[in-house]
Amino acid sequence: MWKIGDRLGGYEPGQFKHRFRMLFIIVSVALSLLVMRLWYLQVIKGDELRQRSENNNVRLRKIKPMRGLIMDEGRRVLVDNQPSYDIVFIPNRTKDIRKVIEKIRALYTERSLTFSTLTSPPDRVKPFVPVLLERNVSMEKLAVVETHALELPGVATEVTPVRQYLNGEMTAQLIGFTGEVSPEDMERDATGKLSPGDIIGKLGIEKFLDGHLRGKNGAEQVEVNVAGKAVRSLGRIPAELGDNVVLTIHSTLQEAAWTAIGDRAGAVVALDPRNGAVLALVSSPSFDPNLFNGGISFDDWENLSSDIRHPMENRSISGQYPPGSTYKPVIAAAALEEGLITPETTFFCNGAFEMGDRTFRCWQSKGHGNVNLHRAIVESCDVYFYNLGKLLGVDRIAYYARAFGLGAPSGIDLTQEKGGLIPTKQWKLSRLREPWQMGETISLAIGQGFNLVTPIQLANVYATLANGGTLYRPRLIKQLESSDGHVVKRYGPEKLGVLPVRPQTIALINKALWGAVNERGGTGYILKRKEQDVAGKTGTAQVIGLPQDEKARKKKRITADLRDHALFVGFAPYGNPEIVVAVILEHAGHGGSAAAPVARKVIDTYFALKKMTPTHEQAQSAAEIRGIAKP
Amino acid sequence: MIKLDRRLILNFDWTLFILVLIISGIGLLNIYSAGFSLTDFRQTPLYIKQLEWILIGLAGMAIAFFIDYRFLNRHAYIIYGISIVLLLVVFTAGYATRGSQRWIAVGGFTFQPSELVKLTIILALAKYFDRHQIGRSYHLTELFIPFTIVIIPFLFVLKQPDLGTALVFLILFLAMVFFVGLDWRSLLIAGAGGLILTPIGWYFLKDYQKERILTFFGPERDPLGSGYHIIQSMIAVGSGGVFGKGFSKGSQTQLKFLPEQQTDFVFSVFAEEWGFLGGVILVVLFFSLILWGLKIMIHSRDYPGALIAFGITMLIFWEVFINIGMVLGILPVVGIPLPFLSYGGSSMVILMTAIGVLLNISVRRFILQS
Repeated sequence: MWKIGDRLGGYEPGQFKHRFRMLFIIVSVALSLLVMRLWYLQVIKGDELRQRSENNNVRLRKIKPMRGLIMDEGRRVLVDNQPSYDIVFIPNRTKDIRKVIEKIRALYTERSLTFSTLTSPPDRVKPFVPVLLERNVSMEKLAVVETHALELPGVATEVTPVRQYLNGEMTAQLIGFTGEVSPEDMERDATGKLSPGDIIGKLGIEKFLDGHLRGKNGAEQVEVNVAGKAVRSLGRIPAELGDNVVLTIHSTLQEAAWTAIGDRAGAVVALDPRNGAVLALVSSPSFDPNLFNGGISFDDWENLSSDIRHPMENRSISGQYPPGSTYKPVIAAAALEEGLITPETTFFCNGAFEMGDRTFRCWQSKGHGNVNLHRAIVESCDVYFYNLGKLLGVDRIAYYARAFGLGAPSGIDLTQEKGGLIPTKQWKLSRLREPWQMGETISLAIGQGFNLVTPIQLANVYATLANGGTLYRPRLIKQLESSDGHVVKRYGPEKLGVLPVRPQTIALINKALWGAVNERGGTGYILKRKEQDVAGKTGTAQVIGLPQDEKARKKKRITADLRDHALFVGFAPYGNPEIVVAVILEHAGHGGSAAAPVARKVIDTYFALKKMTPTHEQAQSAAEIRGIAKP
Repeated sequence: MIKLDRRLILNFDWTLFILVLIISGIGLLNIYSAGFSLTDFRQTPLYIKQLEWILIGLAGMAIAFFIDYRFLNRHAYIIYGISIVLLLVVFTAGYATRGSQRWIAVGGFTFQPSELVKLTIILALAKYFDRHQIGRSYHLTELFIPFTIVIIPFLFVLKQPDLGTALVFLILFLAMVFFVGLDWRSLLIAGAGGLILTPIGWYFLKDYQKERILTFFGPERDPLGSGYHIIQSMIAVGSGGVFGKGFSKGSQTQLKFLPEQQTDFVFSVFAEEWGFLGGVILVVLFFSLILWGLKIMIHSRDYPGALIAFGITMLIFWEVFINIGMVLGILPVVGIPLPFLSYGGSSMVILMTAIGVLLNISVRRFILQS
C-alpha cells in the first residue's frame, strides 16, 4: 500500500491549500461577473428587453431560398419549384384557434368552398408559434382570406417554394425528395448553416447534392401591426438561389426502362462504358416523391414505410443479388489470365459435375458435350465453369472480381449505396467461423453462393469489358450551374483502375458475349437485332437453395417469392460500345425470357434516339431546344 | 481492479452526486419546457433522448466510480491513445455524414470522440506530471511532452472544425500547467509566443468562425447576420426579468429565434423562463459543484488524484463560464456546451463519467488513509 511521503516530491494531502485560495478567487470573480451581467440584462434592462421581446413590432422573417433545378443530360427539367400558398395562424392576442377555424370555414361555405386541415388543430397553441391551417390553397381561397383579414386576427398567408417532381415515380429513388430539417440533421450539421424549418434533401440526388441545391436563407426585418401583419420592410438580405444540377441521365432512356419493367420489382442500370456516365437508373416498385412536398401525411408515411416491397429502396445501388451466370465472364477472365486454360481448352459436359459426394448440375440436363470457352459462354454451360472454379479456387476468383469493382461500393454520386459481397477464405473464417468448402467455390463459379452484387456494380463489370479494361466510377452528375447559368463545376470521367487482364482476353470474352446473343443456341438470342450489334449475357440467380433439376423443382410448387431472379447484362454496339445495360428482375424466372426483353427495349430506344440525332453535339443542341420548348 | 468495498458505500460523496442530479434534472426540465416544437412526428421528443443520455451517463458514472482511479492513472496513456484513435476514426469514417466530421456512429447512437478526449487529456496530463515531479516550477522545455499530448487532439479538432472544443483542450492544458507551476521566465516567453501565434491562428479559422468573433465586437452593426443571434440571445435573457416568464412561456424560445437553442444556447431558454432568480440559483449550484470539486482536490490522498480532480473541476468551470458568458454576450460565440444542461449525448455521458471519477477520488481518500 502506498504510504504518505514516500514519493518523489513528497506529496502531502492538503498541500494544495494555497492553490485553493487562488482558485476560489478566480472562480468567484468569474461567476460573479456572470451574475452581474444577468442583473444588468434582466433587472436593469429587463423591462426594456421585455418590451422588445413582447410588444416589439419588429420581427425577423426568414426568406426561404429556392432550391436549384435538376435537369437531365439534355437539359430537360426533372425537378422544378412551384409556389405553395399556405394559410397559417400566428397566436398572439387571439389564441382561440378553433374559433378562427370556424370563421374561415363559414367564409368558405358562403362561397361553396371546403376547408381542409391537414391534421386536427392542436389543443394548446404557443404564442407566436405559427400553426399551419391549410396548405397549398387555391387562388380563390387565398382571396377570401386576404379580403377578410380584419375579421381573421392572427391569420396570415405565406408563400413557400415547393418541389415538383415532374417524372414522379420514374425517378423517385434516384432524385429523392426533400423535407424539413430534423433535430438530428441539425446536430450533425457542422457548417452551422442549418436552422429549424429549413428544407433539406432527404434521399437521392436531393440529399447527395443538398449543399449545392439548397441555396442560402435570406432574412427580412419587418414592422408588424397589432394584427401581426407585416406593414413595412426595414431591411432585407435576399435569399440565394441554389445551384442547378445537370445529370448524366437521359430521361427518354429512363422512361423506356421504367415502362419496360412495368409493375415487376427490379432495377435497370444503363451506363456509357466510355466514361462511366449513368444514362438510366431505375428501381421498381417506386413511390410518388410529390407526397413529401411540404410534409408527408402520417397515413402516407405509414403506407410507404411499411410496404413490404420497399418502394423507397433504390435497388439499382443498394439491392444485392447473386449475379448468376452473368458472373461467368469474370471467371473466364481469371482462368485465362492465370494460364489455367487456353481458348481451345475443352471440358466435357454430360449435364452434371461430381465433386466429392456432391453432384452439381448443368442447367442443360442433357449436357453440352465437349465445350470450349466460346461455346461455354454462348450456351452458358455450367459444367465448364464448375471446372474453372475448381482450378481457380475462391481467393483467385475474389482477386479478379475485385479488380472488376465488385465487393465494394462503386462510388456513384448517391448515399446508401451497398458494396455487395465477394467472399474469400479469410472472410468466411472470420465472419462465420467455418473453413471454406471446395463445393462453395464450385457454386461461386456460376455466380451462386455467397456472392452478392448490386445492379450498378454489374453494369460496371460489363462496361469495363466493353471499353477494353478501364474501370470508371459511375457518375450521375454532369455539371453544376449557378442560377444565372454559369457552370460552377463540370464533372469528367474518373478512372478507378485498369483490369489486370490482357486485351486479347477481353476481346475473346466480348466475342463470346456477342455470340451469346447472335449465334444459334445463344442464351440471349431474344436480343438479336437485325444490326447484330448487341453482346451480353443472361443470368438466373437462385433465391434460396432450390433443387437444381427441373423435375424436383416442379414437384415443389415454387411460389412467386421463391422464384429465381432474372438477369441480363449487355452492351452495344459490339464493335464500339456506347451503352451498357444491366437488368435485374426479382423472382421473374429466367434471364433470357424475362430480363433480356427489358434490356432490348432500352437498347432499341437508345439507337432510335441516336438515329434521330446523328452526332453527340447535335443531340445536345436538339435536346436544349426541346428543353426550352417544353420545360 | 474492481473491489467491492463496504467503505465505498459508507463514505459515498452524496453531496456531489445530488448536486449533479439536481443540475441535470433542471436541464431535463428545461428541454422539456422549451418543447422545441417538433414538426416531424417521426422524431423522438428531445427530452426523452436527453433522459436516455442521463441514464447512460449514470451508468458511465457508476463504472468510473468502481474502477479505482489509480487504475485509470496507471493506464492513462493507453486510454488517451484510444481516444486519439477514435478521433482519427472521425476523419476516416466520419466522412459518411457529409459536411460534418465530429461524429462517429456507435450502434444507433452517434458519438463525439472529442468530448471523450477532454477527459483523457486530463488523465494523461495528470499521469505525466505525477511521473515527472521535480520539486520546483517547470521550465518551458520541460513541458514539451505535455504540450504534445494536448496539441495533437487540438489540431485534429480544429480541423473538424470545432473551435470550441479545441479551445477547451488548450484551457485544460494551461490550467494544469498553472497548477503544477511554471517559472516566470517561461511564462513571459510563452505569453509573447502566444501573442505572435494569434494572428497565425486566425489564418486557420473557418470563415464562419472569423465572422462570429468579428460580430462579437460589434453585434449591432450586423443585425441580420450572425450578430442577430447574440442580440436575440440577450433579448431572450433580458425579457425574463426578475422572476422569468414561467415554465414553457418563453416567447423568444418558442419563436425559434435562436440557433442551437437546445445545445449551446440552452441557458437563454432557462434564463428567459426562470428570470434572474432562476439564473442566480443555477449559477450558485454550479459554484457549489466547482467548490466541491476543489475540496476533493485538496483532500485527495495522492498527487495524481489531486491533479485529476483539479482537471475535471476546471473543465466544468470553464465550460460553464464560457458558455453562459457567450449567451449573455460578454464572450464570443464558440461551440461549447453548458455542462449537464445542453442537449447532447456525448457531453452528458462524458461529464457524468468525469463526475464518477471525482466521486471515486473523493471516497478513496478514506480508503487509502487506512
